[in-house]
Amino acid sequence: MNDTVMTAGTGTGDGPPELVPLNAIFATDFVRILVPVTTANTMREVAAAVAHHVEGKRVRALPYEKVVIYRGERLPAEMTVAAAGIKPLDHIAVEYDIPERS
Amino acid sequence: MALLKREEWQGFVRDVDWSYSYVDDEAVYPEWHSGTGKVPREAWLAWEESYKVSYPEYVATQREKEAAAYAVKAALQRSSVWEGLDEGWKSATKMHFGGVSLSEYAAVLAELKMARFGLNGAWRNMAVFGQLDELRHTSITTFFGHEFISRDPQYDWTQKAFQTNDWVAISLRNLFDAMMSSANVVDIALQLPLVFETGFTNLQFVALAADALASGDVNFANMISSIQTDEARHSQQGGPTLEILVEYDPVRAQWVVDKTFWASARALAALTGTSMDYYTPLEHRKQSYREFMEEWIIDQFVRTVEQYGLRKPWYWDEFLQGLDIWHHALHMGLWVWRPTIWWRPMAAVSRDERAWLAGKYPNWEKVFGDKWDVIIDNVNAGNVQATLPETLPWLCSTCHLPCCNATQSRGGTWRVRDFPLSYDGRTYHFCTKACRQIFWKDRANVNHLTLVDRFLAGQIQPMDVGGILGYMGLTPDVMGDDPDYQAWTRDYAGRPAEGIAAAAQP
Repeated sequence: MNDTVMTAGTGTGDGPPELVPLNAIFATDFVRILVPVTTANTMREVAAAVAHHVEGKRVRALPYEKVVIYRGERLPAEMTVAAAGIKPLDHIAVEYDIPERS
Repeated sequence: MALLKREEWQGFVRDVDWSYSYVDDEAVYPEWHSGTGKVPREAWLAWEESYKVSYPEYVATQREKEAAAYAVKAALQRSSVWEGLDEGWKSATKMHFGGVSLSEYAAVLAELKMARFGLNGAWRNMAVFGQLDELRHTSITTFFGHEFISRDPQYDWTQKAFQTNDWVAISLRNLFDAMMSSANVVDIALQLPLVFETGFTNLQFVALAADALASGDVNFANMISSIQTDEARHSQQGGPTLEILVEYDPVRAQWVVDKTFWASARALAALTGTSMDYYTPLEHRKQSYREFMEEWIIDQFVRTVEQYGLRKPWYWDEFLQGLDIWHHALHMGLWVWRPTIWWRPMAAVSRDERAWLAGKYPNWEKVFGDKWDVIIDNVNAGNVQATLPETLPWLCSTCHLPCCNATQSRGGTWRVRDFPLSYDGRTYHFCTKACRQIFWKDRANVNHLTLVDRFLAGQIQPMDVGGILGYMGLTPDVMGDDPDYQAWTRDYAGRPAEGIAAAAQP
């Protein structure tokens, strides 16, 4: 395995960020994985943290923004984990924001 | 005095029993071990095995089997057969040795429990033979695996695996503790002899024996065939027990059979599915895992449950859909997390192998081919590092296997979906709907934390990859790696790469 400590970016927030381990799936990947983020991370950072383990490694990278889907809702890129109400052990999906064909 | 003929004494001794005068029946057969439940105590008097054996007959037969198995081993020990075996096949045997040897010992304890707490004398006698069988299986499997330690340290996990906190070992302990150790004997008789041995050991022992012979591993085929000959006898403890339980408590009988079939199918998808469809060299594969499941497991299981008046399990559609997905995804998971296992998993996705997979599983390319293509491009770009994991797969709270079962939406999209459950103040995640249902109904019995649970609880220190591998007992000489990347990537060398793979190309 790569000799990497499992940490995520801390982002910015009012109080000290708290660790939020998530159950995450990236797009068409074959397995859900453990991805630790913090309450201060934005959805853009969360999507990047999940993609780090999969994009270009098992799922071909696509030239689109990545969005976080939580409880069936896509969340704004600048919203933080704390503001979204995402709790430790919650499930999120990260999908490419592929424009619908006209 | 002349000896009595067999038929003159066997009817009497096979079910010797007596009424207790100093203690009551509950003291000898307590409910928590004997588990009669709604079945009246006297109903067990009708318990009768269909194939009757006496102890002298048992010993004579077993002696012959042992002599034959060890004679073949002794003869082959001086040959160079092992050196010529395919690395993929060797992986199938390492996985088997580590996964099975001490599982057989767990079965010794289960049989002993039935030999003591079984509710009929004939059942207890049959279980005595059963525990002797399982002790033989423990010994022969451990001994045959031991021979190769000097040539390859991964074989040391023949005895070690089951005692470690490796995630595969935790998954197996979780399965067998529920099936063999913590249950009462009525449930054990349904779980171990009826569902697991009548059904699923066929899968590992019959299917793999055929592949072993084709792969040139006569010794391994000899060992598992010898073991399999015992199963037919002691597995018959299940039928008479089910027959009586169904009459008095069909709901319990259905539940115990259903949950054990599911748990067994999940484990064998990882153990046998990967061995048959990936580790066995293409030219030696006899049947696909799905074909074998259909022929040996599904038809027989459905016939058996219907014969006893039970229904097909509630999850039947989900199970059948899983035959095209589970073991392929588990194979990819074992390959990606290869440093965490004690064998060398061959990816086995060359053009010819993929054509075979696509022929057997029409959705294979759609669901798995795209991921393997990205992995292949990374390997061909010299970027094997990108194929190695930096986090843990999420492990199902019921089967402890990675949550990796893609399902198709009505719109045709394949995705790995979440099956969560909020219970007792926390959120649990499951690989399938049936695993979630089984957890919910059996939640009072759940006593194993998954490796992910342990990690998040701070039981694994330091909380990094090194800490995780150390916790699982993996040492650098044992950690798995692909034995031959070239074998399955050379077909694709030179094609344009994209993304990370492209950036890594010289």
